[in-house]
Amino acid sequence: MENIFECQSITFSYNIADQDKVLPVPILEDLSLAVRPGEFVAVLGHNGSGKSTLAKHLNAILLPQGGVVYVNGIDTREEERLLEIRSHVGMVFQNPDNQIVATVVEEDVAFALENLGVPPAEIRRRVDDALRSVGMYEHRLRAPHQLSGGQKQRVAIAGIIAMRPDCIVLDEPTAMLDPRGRQEVIGTVQELNREFGITVVLITHFMDEAARCGRVVVMDNGKIILDASPREVFSQVELLKSVGLDVPQATELVHRLRQAGIELPGDIIEVEQCVTAIGRLLKGS
Amino acid sequence: MAIIRTENLNYIYGVGTAFEKSAVTNINLEIEQGEFVGIIGHTGSGKSTLIQHFNGLLRPTSGKVYIDGQDIWEKPKEIRKFRFKVGLVFQYPEYQLFEETVYKDIAFGPTNMGLTKDEVDERVLEAAGLVGLKDKHMRKSPFELSGGQKRRVAIAGVMAMRPDVLILDEPTAGLDPRGRDMILGEIQRYHIQNKNTVLLVSHSMEDIARYAHKVLVMNRSEVFLYDNVEAVFAHAREIADMGLAVPQITRICIALRDMGYNISPETYTVESAKEQILALLGGR
Amino acid sequence: MLKDITIGQYFPGNSPVHRLDPRMKLVLTTVYIVMLFIASTPLSLVVGILFLAVVYPVSRVPVGMMIRSIKPIIPIILLTGILNMFFIDGDILWQWWFLKITDRGLTMAVLMSVRIICLIAGTSLLTYTTSPIALTDGLEQLFGPLKRFRVPVHEVAMMMTIALRFIPTLIEETDKIMSAQKARGADLESGGIMQRVRALIPILIPLFVSAFRRAEELALAMECRCYHGGENRTRMHVLRMGAIDAVSLIFTGACLAGVILVNIYGAGWL
Repeated sequence: MENIFECQSITFSYNIADQDKVLPVPILEDLSLAVRPGEFVAVLGHNGSGKSTLAKHLNAILLPQGGVVYVNGIDTREEERLLEIRSHVGMVFQNPDNQIVATVVEEDVAFALENLGVPPAEIRRRVDDALRSVGMYEHRLRAPHQLSGGQKQRVAIAGIIAMRPDCIVLDEPTAMLDPRGRQEVIGTVQELNREFGITVVLITHFMDEAARCGRVVVMDNGKIILDASPREVFSQVELLKSVGLDVPQATELVHRLRQAGIELPGDIIEVEQCVTAIGRLLKGS
Repeated sequence: MAIIRTENLNYIYGVGTAFEKSAVTNINLEIEQGEFVGIIGHTGSGKSTLIQHFNGLLRPTSGKVYIDGQDIWEKPKEIRKFRFKVGLVFQYPEYQLFEETVYKDIAFGPTNMGLTKDEVDERVLEAAGLVGLKDKHMRKSPFELSGGQKRRVAIAGVMAMRPDVLILDEPTAGLDPRGRDMILGEIQRYHIQNKNTVLLVSHSMEDIARYAHKVLVMNRSEVFLYDNVEAVFAHAREIADMGLAVPQITRICIALRDMGYNISPETYTVESAKEQILALLGGR
Repeated sequence: MLKDITIGQYFPGNSPVHRLDPRMKLVLTTVYIVMLFIASTPLSLVVGILFLAVVYPVSRVPVGMMIRSIKPIIPIILLTGILNMFFIDGDILWQWWFLKITDRGLTMAVLMSVRIICLIAGTSLLTYTTSPIALTDGLEQLFGPLKRFRVPVHEVAMMMTIALRFIPTLIEETDKIMSAQKARGADLESGGIMQRVRALIPILIPLFVSAFRRAEELALAMECRCYHGGENRTRMHVLRMGAIDAVSLIFTGACLAGVILVNIYGAGWL
């Protein structure tokens, strides 16, 4: 099956005005990435690593200055197929408020479908389905300002799901949410991936979110420096720290014990794994 | 002496309407001078409402607030002077910047205090230094800076008032791990250097465990606990029930304890957990 | 709290008037206004009053709300009344020095005053029974044909919707900005006009900057959801006329006819 995304050696720079000069600041350098249908990928990196810029290439918000980006086989530079690309790849942004257009939840979820000229009865059906799959059906008649951050983001996700896209790209969707909101959003997205097979690309700097994905891509300075399963990635504790990232405390504990000479598996990323491994260790003593 | 003291503090929204709701209930608190206090609580627990009472932005429905021994509402017309004594930095403070230059924006607070030009200048430069802003930033428009730098400008703007108490509401919201460590490091340095009182509202128990000495836990508009960090972690299970995220390391230690191993369930740093485990293994 | 402020004077309900198609309501309100202005005798105006007397109870909007809508314009009514009473020529009924009240003057004063009251009460009923979003939808569809003449009907309607959507959010943000500036010693309460205006700068600038940023982000989000203007756009909620719309059209039409008839044949009375 065809890759959903194929970024082939893409480069991109922003032009920054510095006093009298205009300097190109390179953001992405010779970056290649392929994402297969159904994957749940986290793109991890500190602010300034280029991860958001990469995300914006995935639905043609930005076009690469060098290299090509294919979405479902379509070159993102093909202007006539822009709507087609965007109906297949939905994007959810960081600020929950600045994505909601309508005064009533269900009207906002219908927005994309109205733009695509879908018949009214079909819109109604898809809106109801979308709201149910994010758990916001009971709130469909409420006004956006009455919702919590997590609820607003779920409405934004519903608005994308209604388009029945192949893929959702989420650009730091939980950065402005409280822990409960973060839980709601990641849980929703995880379920959409599991139950409906929607490909998910999650841009984040939260380790615990990346730990829940099937594949973690680590970026630094516009390049991909790691691309593997969460276990493999988090075992590289020193490397992650050197690029301004953190590791889960479970991983940190095991890492320090290993440095002290204790034998433990190097790919622990969750509390249960950690407890099991250490418990086993202590039992043997 | 307690720098902040509250007496039966209550704040009720919509008194007399159908929407009446108590935001903070019966708060009796004494915070000593020089403390670094972490404030945690679920969303809606009243923490934001409570801190706005400390600098007189909100007036209690009933009860009293004493700053440095003075009842701040005794002369309501003079409430502004307490806003200079207790500096409050809101969440996402970078959205309040407005001046033409970074210098002028930081100077807003001290200027409102009625200080002389020289005094203002001294404080602005001092505050800028505290948050790591350089000379080249001072003449720029705040809108030209990056998000992290803007936040620093906003925090400096409050520090420049040289408040006796500095309150920060989730200063690391939206920042990546590197940004978070930098800001918290700066706040810690500020606290040590100035020996004043710092209150840090946060959702991250890990951050609070690392930097605070005492913790105030708010739950459903009431104070659940105000004690040393260790004592608070003794209640880790109850805190988890409130919907607050207990640090991973504490959860690991609680689980190991439940399995019968002699590890303190109040552990809140990785280093301490490591030491205890090594000790248990060493005893082989 | 501030979060619960709704815009306009929408008084939620489920009466037949509430359930009318907003386009019909807009048209009927216009017809009603025409009715009030072509009524040339006090008797024909009575038809206008009767119209209100029927529609208000059906809408179940409390009389108190109607009175509230009239209160602000009482000065205008008084002024109109006085101007008409004293400065229109006719048979003099009362005179003192240079002030004279004529029969025609009195008639006109009453006519104009009642007209204004009915006008305000009638149009208020429109906003009481129609939510801002329904009004916007109705306007967009009514003026739809103008698109052929390059009038940006859809764009204006979209702007109105977005504005309505963001008003509560911006109010909340203003609140936050004010708190933040007050926390730095901003004094928004004291001083003369100039001082107070200047004190608003630390509030307005961040608010404007924020509004522009929101607009930018929202535009991007809209484009990502395939927004491309008003062409070939469908709507989830389709406005459909029903039986009540037909009934209200007939009723209003009858009132209009009544007014015209009374104008022509009742001229002798009063």
